[in-house]
Amino acid sequence: MTHALVLAQRALREGIRTPEAIVPTLFIPLFFLVVNVGQAARIFPGSSTAFLHGQGYGAFQLPSSMLLAASFGSAALFLVEEIEGGYFDKLRATPVHRRAIVVGRLIAEGIKALLIASVLVLLGLAFGIRIASGVPGFVLLIVLTAGWAVVYAGFMQIIALKTRSAAATNSAGLVFFPLLFLTPNFVPRNLLTHPMEIAATFNPVTYVMEALRSLILQRAHWETIGLGYLVIAVAAAVMLAVSVRVVRTYD
Amino acid sequence: MGEPAAAVQAEGLVKTYRSRAGTVEAVRGVDLRVESGEIFGFLGPNGAGKSTTVKMLTTLLSITAGTGRVAGLDVAREPDAVRRRIGVALQEAGLDGRQTGRELLVLQGRLFDLSAHDASGRAEELLELVELTDAADRRIKSYSGGMKRRLDLASALVHEPEVLFLDEPTTGLDPASRVTVWDEVRRINERGTTVFLTTQYLEEADQLCDRLAIIDGGRIVREGTPSQLKTELRERLGLGRAATLDDVFLDATGRARTHVAGEVQEVKA
Repeated sequence: MTHALVLAQRALREGIRTPEAIVPTLFIPLFFLVVNVGQAARIFPGSSTAFLHGQGYGAFQLPSSMLLAASFGSAALFLVEEIEGGYFDKLRATPVHRRAIVVGRLIAEGIKALLIASVLVLLGLAFGIRIASGVPGFVLLIVLTAGWAVVYAGFMQIIALKTRSAAATNSAGLVFFPLLFLTPNFVPRNLLTHPMEIAATFNPVTYVMEALRSLILQRAHWETIGLGYLVIAVAAAVMLAVSVRVVRTYD
Repeated sequence: MGEPAAAVQAEGLVKTYRSRAGTVEAVRGVDLRVESGEIFGFLGPNGAGKSTTVKMLTTLLSITAGTGRVAGLDVAREPDAVRRRIGVALQEAGLDGRQTGRELLVLQGRLFDLSAHDASGRAEELLELVELTDAADRRIKSYSGGMKRRLDLASALVHEPEVLFLDEPTTGLDPASRVTVWDEVRRINERGTTVFLTTQYLEEADQLCDRLAIIDGGRIVREGTPSQLKTELRERLGLGRAATLDDVFLDATGRARTHVAGEVQEVKA
């Protein structure tokens, strides 16, 4: 674990020293939050829209922005840079546990996501959004968001390790992007058109989004929250297993 | 009593890659033996298989066939144990430009399981050794090429390795920086570390190496001390002058030296 922690520390330093990689992570999701709420808030007034549970449309949209922010991790691009620059081989030539090479950056990514998610929620609170599940709900909310950040960054790292190319890694990020939008992004799942509802049902991100949304809009709804956490746990297990295999067989 | 274990030993080392164009044989059965305490030079033209051989011996590439032993350990079977006994400075100093020199050395120490305190102390020692104490807290991206090479060398020494692999350690350096790196290599070797060095600079091999091997087309084509190789060539070709290592290299690799455009010399296949 020490190896993973020292590598995480390095990745955090890297993040702090590259603010230009963090600023858009916060700015773009906030931009989408403002735009989406601006466009749809009058269609879904809080006073008469049942699925908003008495809150404004911003509360419904906040989870989308949080997931978007959590999907902007830079771990994979830093990794490609490291591979291209030769430092990755330098690391591999040490007795560092292969798992730590992957996990180190993911720990850092998780910590960054905790901070970014907290900032987003706090900004939401400042604009009248309430976390209906209270302080424990707030904690579950940011931990679940960080969990998604880790999983997403992990899959991007796998692509970085396989392709060893910044361009390919960037493009692959765009392929993952639709996952964030084939979800009940603007309305609950039961209000989607039938094909979209089917797509959203098969999309694991839907369950993470619904868990986040339930934490904001309702008192603890454990089944929905549990499902969100289960999706993250399963995806994380798959991602870690594949990552470790890829880094072990890296030639 | 058996023969003492060599610092580096390769037997029939082969590396093949599959590409869209077919199978590429980068290394085709390399046999090598480097004794403990030697500075061993590994020479060859571009694409001859030098770096591939080094990467196999340092656990960074899988071995297609044959065996590699470093510090008495099988590279394929005990990669972690090998990594604990070797230091590696690869071509194009692979460093993390966003860290400071000190942070990089401390991290390297921590990855070799030194405590935070010990890693910090070792980093300080190494920074003094490679004369980078004044630049220790600057980001590496602001270092010159020579400083990066010296830092890379220092990072390969954090755990006092038995065998140090240097892959073209002076490529791209100006003459003064090159001499500084040579001095460091000699100093490291005097402390008992075996040095396995690849280079394209024949003068470097002549100055530094106790023995050397020349690889071409994935096979070893010459092996011996620089003076043995030069004497053998002079006698074989009946040269009326002393042979140079350039002559040995050109003879071994089948290249011919021709004069092109006045004083510019080009080596042609």
